[in-house]
Amino acid sequence: MKVGAGGANAGTGRARKLVVAAGIGGVSVAALTLLRGRAGRRSGRAGRLTGPAGNLRVERGLAALRLAARGGARYATSAPRLFASAGEHREALRNDLALQTAEDVAATLGTMKGVLMKLGQMASYVDDGLSPAARRTLSRLQDSVPPMSPELAAQVVTEELGQPPEQIFATWDPEPIAAASIGQVHRAITFDGRAVAVKVQYPGIAETIEADLGNVGLLRRMLKITAPMQDVDALLAELRERVTEELDYRREARNQQMFARYYAGHPTIAIPEIVGELSTRRVVTSDLADGARFAELTTWSQAERDLAAETIYRFVFRSLYGAHAFNGDPHPGNYLFHGGGRVTFLDFGLVKHFTADELRPLVAMVRHLCVDNDPEGFRRAMEDAGFLMAGAPLPTDMIVEHMAVFYDTVRERGPRTMTGAYASAVTRRFFDFRSPLAAYVQIPRSYVILQRINLGLFALLGELSANADWRGIAEEIWPFVQGPPCTPMGAAEARWRATGGGAGDPGRSVKKVF
Amino acid sequence: MTAGSYADAAGLVERSAAAYATAVPVTPEDDGFFGPASLTWRVSADLSAPVAGLRSLLMQALHPLAMAGVDQHSDWRTDPVGRLAATSAYEVTVTFGDRAGARRVAQRVRAIHEHVRGVDPETGQPYAAGDPALLVWVHAGLVDSALAACALFGTRLSDRDADAYVAEMTVAAELLGAPHEMIPDSVAALERYIAGVRPALRRTPAAAESMSYLLDPPGLDEDIAELWQDIRDAAVTALPGWARQMYGYPEPPPLTARRRTEIRQVLGVLDAVFLGEPGVLEARQRLAVRVRSAGKA
Repeated sequence: MKVGAGGANAGTGRARKLVVAAGIGGVSVAALTLLRGRAGRRSGRAGRLTGPAGNLRVERGLAALRLAARGGARYATSAPRLFASAGEHREALRNDLALQTAEDVAATLGTMKGVLMKLGQMASYVDDGLSPAARRTLSRLQDSVPPMSPELAAQVVTEELGQPPEQIFATWDPEPIAAASIGQVHRAITFDGRAVAVKVQYPGIAETIEADLGNVGLLRRMLKITAPMQDVDALLAELRERVTEELDYRREARNQQMFARYYAGHPTIAIPEIVGELSTRRVVTSDLADGARFAELTTWSQAERDLAAETIYRFVFRSLYGAHAFNGDPHPGNYLFHGGGRVTFLDFGLVKHFTADELRPLVAMVRHLCVDNDPEGFRRAMEDAGFLMAGAPLPTDMIVEHMAVFYDTVRERGPRTMTGAYASAVTRRFFDFRSPLAAYVQIPRSYVILQRINLGLFALLGELSANADWRGIAEEIWPFVQGPPCTPMGAAEARWRATGGGAGDPGRSVKKVF
Repeated sequence: MTAGSYADAAGLVERSAAAYATAVPVTPEDDGFFGPASLTWRVSADLSAPVAGLRSLLMQALHPLAMAGVDQHSDWRTDPVGRLAATSAYEVTVTFGDRAGARRVAQRVRAIHEHVRGVDPETGQPYAAGDPALLVWVHAGLVDSALAACALFGTRLSDRDADAYVAEMTVAAELLGAPHEMIPDSVAALERYIAGVRPALRRTPAAAESMSYLLDPPGLDEDIAELWQDIRDAAVTALPGWARQMYGYPEPPPLTARRRTEIRQVLGVLDAVFLGEPGVLEARQRLAVRVRSAGKA
């Protein structure tokens, strides 16, 4: 079951390995960490000499953010808080500062700021090493971006949908209800009476970020230090691809639609429908959802929390095994809770689709380790997946012992409580560069995003102290077991499946779309 | 003395940021000597400002008497970071503060200048920091550098705006006691003035030491040091050729569009770092609100 978690062993003593292995956010981790790593470049110049590049490690977080974060740590005590979060004046102030033109957007988010924000955000998806201070700084960078003025937002809608929002929608709320990283969300009601959320992208942001990624001087020079040429090009390509994908809301809309279709009729999983005719590259319209936020959920009864956790768990692994897709953003802000385990899933900006070939070795790993109890088979599957170098001079039982922590919650039946301590233990193992396996293990690019199962999902469930028979649920979902329902939710899900729920292979239909 | 006698530069960004955050006024009584619609405000907020600052120091240090005053009297060697932060706080107050605040800090500097007198060991000439000739030179170095940095790495001012900026800035030199008629008030006057001073300029050992320290300050956080390399290159690129020759810096390669973009990206990263320091975002917002309302009026 924790196939994905198995993929999470990034342990490697050498930065280059990890860089090679880097996929989605890994690239960003590498890129920004390397801000500090231009030792080689400096030594050829007038500057003071530093040690060889060898001391560079892709480790705890992002240099630029870390840099910026040093102040953040002091912020709480010493800052003259004379605006950024000025209580009741905040809204008025934000309006005063609102971005009024595309030039304002460029001035605010150009020259790397938008890129740093985006990369920092992505890195936080895969790198637990971001310190609390770095996280604060990231949010500070985001705070530094005011909303669009109502006129500017309306202008984007007009450019994208052909008419001003007041004519496109029966009702349009010119005040945004939420900030997105590169846009903002407005409420509206369509002419056929649907309450919708309309996410509007900052004008020019895509061009600005692409330009900064396109003039890759800074990134390239940084990357050269740790990675040989061919890797730099691959990494930059990957980096640009991921960021560029996020800049195009059409992709997000397609992903959300795919998930919405797959889970249509599901007893506890809800995904807002996309309104296709009102969605374009810079505008995405979906049903408006309402519900309790994660912070509120943590105040609910343990029974409610367990049910919500079960739904999230089922969603993650059902999506992976059934839909061959993984939503890489299990961020607490991306859920709305309705009680009885019903959860609405939001934000499909970072979705990874897997091919059957990519998934096969992951499935084999979990099967050999947790069901067949076949350590040699497990090792072979790791090698097939590209996690473990073939012929590594390591005894199989050592490999199994090292990896077992990732499968800890699904090796045996029975109720178990997810804890913060477990999530941390998994994370520590993940980042264990001193492990004897480190030199022989890497994460192939396509699996990197699955780190989010460790760093995101388990941390989230740990925060809820969620209790369930995770192995039992896993057996329901594992395609090689297809166990009977082990909870009432499982029974409801089985009925949903019996009536055609989750049918077909959306992974395949998605490929057609793309 | 050698460059080794300087204290290290740890905390350069933090202390500059703190100086900035504190110096941007919270409840100014008036718009000061420039105001939110001024070119001075615009130039001060330009992305290229760090390059302008470093180039200013490189220019100013070429005057042996100005350099001697700094070298013999200030805490420049024992607390270079504090000295730079104080200078930066002064500039921010004069630029963005209200008139009373600007006058107050200027008065303080004038009082300090009273005691800065001596003899330059290189030229044997006596100097006094309050000497209008030195005040105007220091002023001209700053104004010229701001224009050069904007033109190369920031938002270039039109010829007309550049003239207006030089004229606006004369008041800054007057605050320190320079007589109005001595202060260049147009780009042409500024160029004539600098050409006129040039024969007196030279790289003294104190200047050489100070500037090699500044170009590669020891003790900087390694991450900042990396960014500083590019800021330094940019400042040297922005110097007049003759000033580079005085220092003995090699002629930089022509500034390609790509290299310019790289430097702007580095400036953007540095700015993001600055923004992450306590109070900086708030200070920026206070200024932005004033610029906005000035634009509406």
